[in-house]
Amino acid sequence: MSQLLVANNVSKHFGGLKAVDNVDMIINEGDIFGIIGPNGAGKTTFFNICSGVYKPTTGEITFDGHSLVGQKPEQIARLGMARTFQNIRLFKYMSVLENVFIGFQTKTRTGLADAILHTAAYKSDEQLIREEGLKVLDSLGLLPFKDTKAGNLSYGMQRKVEIARALALGPKLLLLDEPAAGMNQLEKQELMHFVIDLNKRGYTIALIEHDMRFVMNSCNRILVLNFGQKICEGTPEEVREDKGVNEAYFGKGLLVGRKGAAA
Amino acid sequence: MDYAISILVNGIVQGSIYALMALGYSVIVGITGLVTFTHGEVMMMGAFASFYVFELFGSNILIGAIGSFIVCGILGIIIYKVCYERFLDAPRHIALICTIGASMIIKNMAQIVFGPNQKPMFGIFENQLIKIGPVQLSVLQLVILAIVVILALGLSLFFSKSKYGISMRAVSQDKTAASLMGLNVNANALLGNVIGCGLAGIAGMLISVYYQAFQATMGGPLGMKAFSASVLGGLTDSRFAALGGLFLGLIENFGIAVSSASFRDIFAFIFLILILIFKPQGFSKKGGIKL
Repeated sequence: MSQLLVANNVSKHFGGLKAVDNVDMIINEGDIFGIIGPNGAGKTTFFNICSGVYKPTTGEITFDGHSLVGQKPEQIARLGMARTFQNIRLFKYMSVLENVFIGFQTKTRTGLADAILHTAAYKSDEQLIREEGLKVLDSLGLLPFKDTKAGNLSYGMQRKVEIARALALGPKLLLLDEPAAGMNQLEKQELMHFVIDLNKRGYTIALIEHDMRFVMNSCNRILVLNFGQKICEGTPEEVREDKGVNEAYFGKGLLVGRKGAAA
Repeated sequence: MDYAISILVNGIVQGSIYALMALGYSVIVGITGLVTFTHGEVMMMGAFASFYVFELFGSNILIGAIGSFIVCGILGIIIYKVCYERFLDAPRHIALICTIGASMIIKNMAQIVFGPNQKPMFGIFENQLIKIGPVQLSVLQLVILAIVVILALGLSLFFSKSKYGISMRAVSQDKTAASLMGLNVNANALLGNVIGCGLAGIAGMLISVYYQAFQATMGGPLGMKAFSASVLGGLTDSRFAALGGLFLGLIENFGIAVSSASFRDIFAFIFLILILIFKPQGFSKKGGIKL
């Protein structure tokens, strides 16, 4: 199994705040890689560094053999990394299908001159995008909503459209930032099976999620962050048994403190 | 009655030129997300460009339109490089002040190079009147209407159907998300600016042909009128901006009819102030450029 994304000693400081501090991570091809941690642990910041929104203060990230330091977000996207957002960032005033078209833009080769002259290559490109776009929507059950404005859909649907838009990029690595946030148990179950299914179809996936049942049942490797630092990395079983992780989530010596109060 | 109809026709023709200015304006503001004050100067350059194109290649309005589109498109590239490229993420007032500076430079350079005096424009068409029922309009007025309608429809088609139009709309709505989807934000913003400035150039040509005159200082009031018309659509909605332009032309012409031609600009700016007082967000929901 080859290494797809390798982060080496990555840090991001905002002034005196160490949002991400010396984190190492390796995502292998074929993984469903989970990143968990309490609120403010630096998970989304870490995603933002990987996808090029932030530049790391120190450290090195390589993706599929390319160094990502200094690359612009659009270049990283073109290398094959697609993502969704914690707070949905769809193009609200465009239809679902148009949102997915945006994802396909990286794959077309024809230039502006072709568009103006309306060449055959341009027409076949447009045709291809349309067919592929409908295919992606179909796989997510979004086909009936293809002409609806993205902003008018329900929250769960919008999350699906975001995933569809990211899939349209044909990514080698798919980053999902809290994909199940705001969903009910049933929707979470569905989403989990969908993610596992995507993985079986060959997508490598990294996800941030607070729902433990979701993470423990879908991921094969998990990274735990707290206050910007890595406190544990391993399989779900290893993470569950880890003392540091339990402390991060439930607090150190909480029971002792209670006893003291009772006495 | 005939008088009222002729005012109406004049208003619509003039309004359609304002609509074209406002279309360009709303495309630029919609895509870059930053207000521009160079628009009037770009129109002035469009008028000068068309004048020299007419002089070199003969009085053909289509060649003039292409010439002024190209010249103003290139000007758009320069303005983008100077005023926008580094400031897309910066506070908005930085780019705004930069465009004010650029407009002053362009205006004063034009006065030095072309001279400050008003110049006569070539007469492109014979002063021939066409009668359609009670409506009377000149060939020139008909051509202006046709050019504006064709450009507006073409623009609408470009933004709704072509992949470049779709990417530009995406960039105008959310630059970060667009770049994470692999879109080159800079290239899209540049293209939007070129299209907006090119349309302004054609509008500048039309207005100078319509008035039969142009000069280096004509840009100021024109830019403000493009701005006033766009305010109706919250600066970014092209459909409302075009409507605003048409409305502005009608208000001006009926205003002149009851007062005097020297009060022309007053009506435009009363319109602007009224909109800003009663509907400052415009009549459109915010949502990037729409066509």
